[in-house]
Amino acid sequence: MYQCSSTISRKLTVLKNNLGRSSVKRQVHFACIVIIGMCALAEAHDIVTTPVTWDREISRIFYSRCVACHREGSRAFSLMQYQETFPWRTAIKEEVLERRMPPWGAVKGFGDFRNDQALTPEELELLTSWSQGGSPEGEEKDFPAKDKLNEMMKESAWFDAEAKASHSARQPGAIAVKGDFKLVKTFNLDGLLAKSVPPGSYQIIAELPDGRIEPLVWLDDYKEQFGHPFLYRAPLELPAGTVISGIPPGATIFLLPEEKK
Amino acid sequence: MRTVLGLLVLLVVAAAVSAQNPVIAPLPSQNAGSVYICPMDPDVRSNSPGNCARCGMALVAGLPDPVEYHLHLDVSPKPIKTGQPADLTFEVHDPWKDRPVTNFQIVHEKLFHMFVVSQDLQVFLHNHPTLGSDKSFHYQYVFPKSGMYRILGDFYPDGATPQLITKTVIVPGPAPKPASLMRDYSPKDAENMTVELTTDPPQPISGFKSQMYFRVKPAEGLEKYLAAWGHMLAASDDLIDMIHEHPFIADGGPQIQFNVIFPRARAYRVWVQFQRKGVVNTAYFDIPVKALGQ
Repeated sequence: MYQCSSTISRKLTVLKNNLGRSSVKRQVHFACIVIIGMCALAEAHDIVTTPVTWDREISRIFYSRCVACHREGSRAFSLMQYQETFPWRTAIKEEVLERRMPPWGAVKGFGDFRNDQALTPEELELLTSWSQGGSPEGEEKDFPAKDKLNEMMKESAWFDAEAKASHSARQPGAIAVKGDFKLVKTFNLDGLLAKSVPPGSYQIIAELPDGRIEPLVWLDDYKEQFGHPFLYRAPLELPAGTVISGIPPGATIFLLPEEKK
Repeated sequence: MRTVLGLLVLLVVAAAVSAQNPVIAPLPSQNAGSVYICPMDPDVRSNSPGNCARCGMALVAGLPDPVEYHLHLDVSPKPIKTGQPADLTFEVHDPWKDRPVTNFQIVHEKLFHMFVVSQDLQVFLHNHPTLGSDKSFHYQYVFPKSGMYRILGDFYPDGATPQLITKTVIVPGPAPKPASLMRDYSPKDAENMTVELTTDPPQPISGFKSQMYFRVKPAEGLEKYLAAWGHMLAASDDLIDMIHEHPFIADGGPQIQFNVIFPRARAYRVWVQFQRKGVVNTAYFDIPVKALGQ
């Protein structure tokens, strides 16, 4: 800031001197250049134009959606503090709008998943507004209490660890499906696990014998390393004769059965 | 000439001050005390109770944590048949114990707004399922063609934040060709008005705010429709993004401004609705969105 002030002061002095001895045309020309320069300096700072703050809205989203991975000692850089997050504000906006983050890999609203980690339209709007509006920190009093943070982190951690541990291709009764596949007996589908999915967008559906079509999952930019299952809010009963289709060549989809209670 | 030079110096000083103090006057949310927020437009805030200047909704104190409710959609009879009435039933459940939610706030004069868009972007519907005695929302709809439909539910459970949840319905039969959108900003003749569009920037950039200026002719007799001077739904050509907006600036005159951030660099179809002399006008435009630097 001091550097900035002294630069401005020097430029003003130069301008003042210049105004005293040059032709009017040159003076105006020079003044315009200085104004443009000043504007550029002003743009170097973030002007706050949003009411959305880190302490109030953004920290809540990050702690419930991101910090399972984005924390100290984990596999990705930490996003737990404002000072850590601020430098990434533009990249964060781009990543979430492109749906690359959080790494969920499926289109929202095609299948109803109990472990859905895709951001809601409201969360996207808040993150975009914060990123574009100067990314203010806010007030400490708005930052969530410690027990609330722990609760949010627990939710986030479940997605990363527990879901992967308890649902895998080795789960008893899981069926590996490649290409179109017809079920020979009724299957209560609890979830799906995708392997070796080529880059792209794929709608996987179930065509039931009575003619119904159930959307199962719309994989979009799904990557092998995500490794998480897609778990339905309520198991889908797929009768014998149901055809699973839409699986891209080379990919394997594991049908995960409902766990017996 | 001295006056001109004086003005230039003043401008320089103003720019310098701006550079030193980049944060503009504090926004309401940065002051101490209660904050009143529009549940529909979360960027509209005030330090005192009142109504949203943009959509007219009552501002609410505090800020409920944004949580996503569960929306169950059942369509009967099964399977769905094109050209025949289908009953759509929407049930809302809370995110904690999946209990049915029975109390809702009115948003833009209705408890539930529903948008239906077909896979080929040829079908668009904005209507309002009604709350039945079973506390579910019901709507009868005739799917005009086979293929995938994205159905957007917009509702506001008591004590929560407004919900915008998309569901997918697939009507058996041959799937239509996917939409292939080219830029179409041409004026549209709607029911009883013509709608023109300009945007700033001329080609919107993904991730950055685009100002969309709609001009309606004639403007005489323009009325609010569902408590707003206009409604917009933008859908990406792959139907992944569905954005519902209300005007950012509108006063009943011929120009209605929406501000939209298109998430991705691809084409979007944008439907707008304006009411004039009791008639709802619907028009659509196709907008290619580029990436920064393209």
